[in-house]
Amino acid sequence: MRKLDTGKKLLALSIFTRFSVLILLCLLGLWTEYLNLKMGYNNPRLVELSSGPAMRVFYECSDAFFSLFGDPLEAAQTFGGMTWSIRLWGVPFTDPIAFFSILVRDRSLEWGFVLGLILPITLVLLFGRVFCTYICPASLLFFTISRIRRLLGGFFYFPNLSLSKGFAWGILVGGLLLALSFGHGIWILILPYFAMGQTIFHGIAFGTISVAFFSLILFSLFDLCLGQQFTCRYICPTGRFLGWMGSKSLFSVRRDAKKCLPECHICYDVCPLKVDPKIDDSKDCSLCGECLVACPTKCLSIGKVGETWVKLG
Amino acid sequence: MERRKFMRSFMAGVVACGLIPLVDKLPKPISSRLKKYLRPPGAKPEKEFLDACIGCGQCANVCPNKCISLSGLEKGLENLATPYIVARAKACILCMACTQVCPTGALTPLEPTLEGMLSVTMGTAFVAEDICYSYAGRTCGACYHACPLPGKAITLGLFEQPHVNPKYCVGCGLCEQACIHMPQAIRVIPIKDLGTQT
Repeated sequence: MRKLDTGKKLLALSIFTRFSVLILLCLLGLWTEYLNLKMGYNNPRLVELSSGPAMRVFYECSDAFFSLFGDPLEAAQTFGGMTWSIRLWGVPFTDPIAFFSILVRDRSLEWGFVLGLILPITLVLLFGRVFCTYICPASLLFFTISRIRRLLGGFFYFPNLSLSKGFAWGILVGGLLLALSFGHGIWILILPYFAMGQTIFHGIAFGTISVAFFSLILFSLFDLCLGQQFTCRYICPTGRFLGWMGSKSLFSVRRDAKKCLPECHICYDVCPLKVDPKIDDSKDCSLCGECLVACPTKCLSIGKVGETWVKLG
Repeated sequence: MERRKFMRSFMAGVVACGLIPLVDKLPKPISSRLKKYLRPPGAKPEKEFLDACIGCGQCANVCPNKCISLSGLEKGLENLATPYIVARAKACILCMACTQVCPTGALTPLEPTLEGMLSVTMGTAFVAEDICYSYAGRTCGACYHACPLPGKAITLGLFEQPHVNPKYCVGCGLCEQACIHMPQAIRVIPIKDLGTQT
């Protein structure tokens, strides 16, 4: 049996986890419907009559799932939210951007909201910007677009523009100013993952198209027409903030300088976030594994940043 | 040089964000002229509510009655992604699930008890006596029977004519949902103290 290398494993893992998050978001929308049916009918037969056999299957599966945690109605209510601020089994998770937004506008902080920051921040300090490749559901969309670009790259010309990192910081500050003058709701137009959550929730729970859907389309067009994963690199304020926070992360891409070919630049070319392992610059690295797959001499590896990490320039 | 490029991009980012309020200028339905909306139970006063609500949608997610919707652009940028209730379509049943889950305290946690119910300040019901069936002598009483606080918030007079007691009425909107007249003869105004408003 052929052994998969680390890069391919990481790629497969990142696609799997992002798909799981996407499915979770869909389930959260569907569970709203489940709660309504549970409260209204509390009977699979009536659910089938009112909403069809597919809904009955979903209803019975959810019922069985939530019965594991006690009363199904109460257990179902311990789940909720979007990637912006989510609760799973009653455990809150908070987006750092949401925290800043509240800090700027409201200044009265709830304990649960602040405690929700602990896990995301720990993740960033340990692994860097992993949110972007392993959790962010919108990055799955941008990942697909980048693969389409690669596939059609032989036939069409796709530009690959670059911007300074200041742009995303500017968007972060501008967004906070907007949150101050209008409301926290404007983030659904700025943050791709929040837009994704809104679109899914509106589509599934209310059957309407959210405005956030149009900003998602805009971001996809940026990705297609301006540069590979342009949104993640230069627009998304969360990505920029996490990249900054995770620049000293414990785990990152390492390079074996002895094996590395001096004229090869493929790791920089394939990197979706324009990190350059070649010059041992692992800021913004999200451990996606693309460079590990592409590297011809397999001189790159992922591990604890330590003595083997030779700095060249 | 590097710093100058950074600063220029930074300003460009801020300016690009400044373009977002332009979406507010898009054409809107007439209903968006309303300035006040029925918020979920336990909501703080409107200004503080808008300060605290981050639009995460957890209240809409746990509502077993599916009465909480999240607003889009039609109510303006201020209300984008905030929860609201249309009482005539589906009124709040005061189960208080949403107040328990709000992460930022935009909704004050309440218990689904009588005391919890009485501390809700969503609005006040208002009877349009000229179109109400009971006031025309045709006994109806649908609003009274829908009220979660019957005898307190709504009391009945001759021919089951509803009288709203603003002291007890919490503004859940169940009476508005139940009203058999079209358009509804009893409406919830999303202001708790109708007397103090002009």
